[in-house]
Amino acid sequence: MSDAHIGGAAVPPVEPVPGSEVAPTVEAAPAETPAASSVPVLCPACGTVNDPDAKYCEECGTQLGDLVEVSTAPEAGETEAVAEQNEATSSTSTPRRACVYCGGSIADDGYCELCGKPAQSERDHWQEAPAAWVGGVCDRGIRHEINEDAMALAADPQPGEFAVLVVCDGVSSTPGSDKASLAAARAATAHLAAGRETDVADGHGDELAQARWSDRMLEAGERSSAAIYEAIGELAARTNPPSCTFAAAVIDGPLVVVGGVGDSRVYWIADSGKSRQLTTDDSWSQEMMAHGMSRQQAESAPQAHSITRWLGADSPDEVPHVVPTYPTGAGWILVCSDGLWNYCSDADDLAELVHRVVGLVGSNPVQVASSLVDWANEQGGQDNITAVLARFDSVVPTPAQPA
Amino acid sequence: MAEFTASVFQNEFLSDGATDVHAIVTVTVSGAGQAGQGQGMAAGEIIIVDTSGSMTGENLGAAKHAASVAIDQILDGTWFAVISGTDTAARAFPYPNARLPMVQMEPGARAAAKQAVAALQPSGGTAMGTWLTLARELFQATPQATQRHAILLTDGKNEHESAQALSQAIYNATGVFQCDARGVGSRWQVDELRQIATALLGTVDLIAKPADMAADFESIIKQSMGRGVASAELRVWAPQGAEVLFVRQVAPTVEDLTTRKTMVNPLTGSYPTGSWGDESRDYHVAVRVASKPVGSEQLAARVQLTVRDEVVSSGLVKARWSNDDALTARIDPAVAHYTGQTELASAIQDGLAAKAAGDAATATVKLGRAVQLAAETGNDEATAKLRKVVEIDDANEGTVRLRRDVAKLDEMALDTASTKTTRVRK
Repeated sequence: MSDAHIGGAAVPPVEPVPGSEVAPTVEAAPAETPAASSVPVLCPACGTVNDPDAKYCEECGTQLGDLVEVSTAPEAGETEAVAEQNEATSSTSTPRRACVYCGGSIADDGYCELCGKPAQSERDHWQEAPAAWVGGVCDRGIRHEINEDAMALAADPQPGEFAVLVVCDGVSSTPGSDKASLAAARAATAHLAAGRETDVADGHGDELAQARWSDRMLEAGERSSAAIYEAIGELAARTNPPSCTFAAAVIDGPLVVVGGVGDSRVYWIADSGKSRQLTTDDSWSQEMMAHGMSRQQAESAPQAHSITRWLGADSPDEVPHVVPTYPTGAGWILVCSDGLWNYCSDADDLAELVHRVVGLVGSNPVQVASSLVDWANEQGGQDNITAVLARFDSVVPTPAQPA
Repeated sequence: MAEFTASVFQNEFLSDGATDVHAIVTVTVSGAGQAGQGQGMAAGEIIIVDTSGSMTGENLGAAKHAASVAIDQILDGTWFAVISGTDTAARAFPYPNARLPMVQMEPGARAAAKQAVAALQPSGGTAMGTWLTLARELFQATPQATQRHAILLTDGKNEHESAQALSQAIYNATGVFQCDARGVGSRWQVDELRQIATALLGTVDLIAKPADMAADFESIIKQSMGRGVASAELRVWAPQGAEVLFVRQVAPTVEDLTTRKTMVNPLTGSYPTGSWGDESRDYHVAVRVASKPVGSEQLAARVQLTVRDEVVSSGLVKARWSNDDALTARIDPAVAHYTGQTELASAIQDGLAAKAAGDAATATVKLGRAVQLAAETGNDEATAKLRKVVEIDDANEGTVRLRRDVAKLDEMALDTASTKTTRVRK
């Protein structure tokens, strides 16, 4: 199977598995993220999943109970919000937050009392869950000082009906890439979500819808590009202007349209049967694989992460590759940055990981995403990590297959 | 109620691999009120007058007058005493036969104290260590007086005790009371009084003419009585693994506080700053932190003023690593200014020391550098005083010639004023 061109027709139908743990429709999860008391607590320092009522991390001893749960997305470029947030959330009676770097406590001035590092900001780690069946986590990782990944999500409450998932990965070592990625992700999601009103009206997932969503995906790329310019201001004139990748998925009934620029990815993670990568990387390693190098060899080379296309002022070509597809059977649409897939690139390996995680934490997408991020941090957290998931059950027969 | 503010002036951007963070922290107090007016607070004031044989004549007459003027400025309710200093120390008021070590000021005590001062007679030598020791004992026997200040006047060298004895007395008095030291005439030693004033958180100055003594005493006591904030501490926190390179007061005078540090906790050092009136003091803090990757940020120091262990004001010194030369190359004007002023103080002191030792070459180089720094930092007072000691050929280049027949008083005036700094020109 060629990675270069993936269509729904090539995906074999998935046999329903009797007695599968995953129900054909998403279990009636509450619309909001479950209360903190009923979910495992993630250690911010080492990423270990602890019992819901744990006060200290079993692995590293970091204090857990007093962390501020951040469930809203940050403002673009927000880093100084820490102090305000601290003011807003801390009173004399509130226990202090723990520093994610050293476990010290965060003083009222927003810096750790032990190591002096700034408290983790909302830009460093946040989660979104626009509907019970869609959720994502964006995380700074361990080694990078700034979170240049970004995500933006939109979804209808009805599972499988309509969702937009966008992940952008800012190019490291270029100041302002964190602003670029967040602006790009939000602009793309806004544009794709706006298409729900007009483009869905004619009916779900037919050929017309494919064409419309494909056009809209191209426009979303343009909107993202424009948003980057607006967000970065005069940084656009730099030799290395802020830039980012782009990976998007629109779920419209049985139809999934993906778009990509760079090396962030969209995967179809089947509950059973064949899982696959739906996007094609614009990367050195992808080019090498196209010339016959093995995936393992190509992706472990020093240049593996050099991307050949991106969004930004100095981009040679910003048009997303667009691929419509009709996944069959039950599974997940996973959009992620290389901070995750670098530790687990192959679609089937990634599927195995997701299945394992679902077995542990259940099928709440935010919990699954959070556990995937933790897992990537356990592998070293060398890069920013973003994982966005939508639970997908193709109960509607596919009306038409792409040519 | 006293209000405290702290402002930080620094360039927080460090180039890749850089480790040293410099900042000027300006601490300002307003609404300090009067000394000894706070809850459970009382002020103590001791006037120490040199009554050695050398004071005979105009000096002692002026000193008595100045002490009387000072007594007038001491607020009612303040615990006070007058010490007569020779090669030993004697309590002049309260009278030696009085039961109390110190008395509270009230109109009757004021009149009696002035009488006691008027009756002082010159005799004997000079042993300032004994004076400081008696002052310490009087203060320690008067625990009600929690905010303690003394003024010490002399006209001569500390000839009748060893330098060690003086140092020991100063050491014992440190932390017990603050002391401003004044020398009248040209026969006293600047370094001796500077040693006292520095350790006891006071000032040192020259009174060239006996007639100026009363005005000087008046202003010292006024200032002391206007210090409504007792014994504040400067606290400097630095992160784990960091090193505080130095902490200096740089305005109104240069005082290196580095060696006065006591640790409050493993990461926080405390430096005594004495009492505060309505005033502003600048501190230069330098911290060495481990270099971090470009793009990272960290707090390099928290600089706080505390009164009775309560933080009343706090300033944050930050470090941010950047590969943008335009950001990292800039030196903060306040840091540059006070770095220059600190060097100016040591150039003057080193130059005068070299001159006194007969090393004209070193003296010329050091005082030349001082002239250059005074010009660069706009310290006109220092320039005027330097001009009396050296001929300035080119202030910008720092080329000078030592003057012949320099008046001793002019050298002493330059020396005592060397640590006085000018503020940054805004």
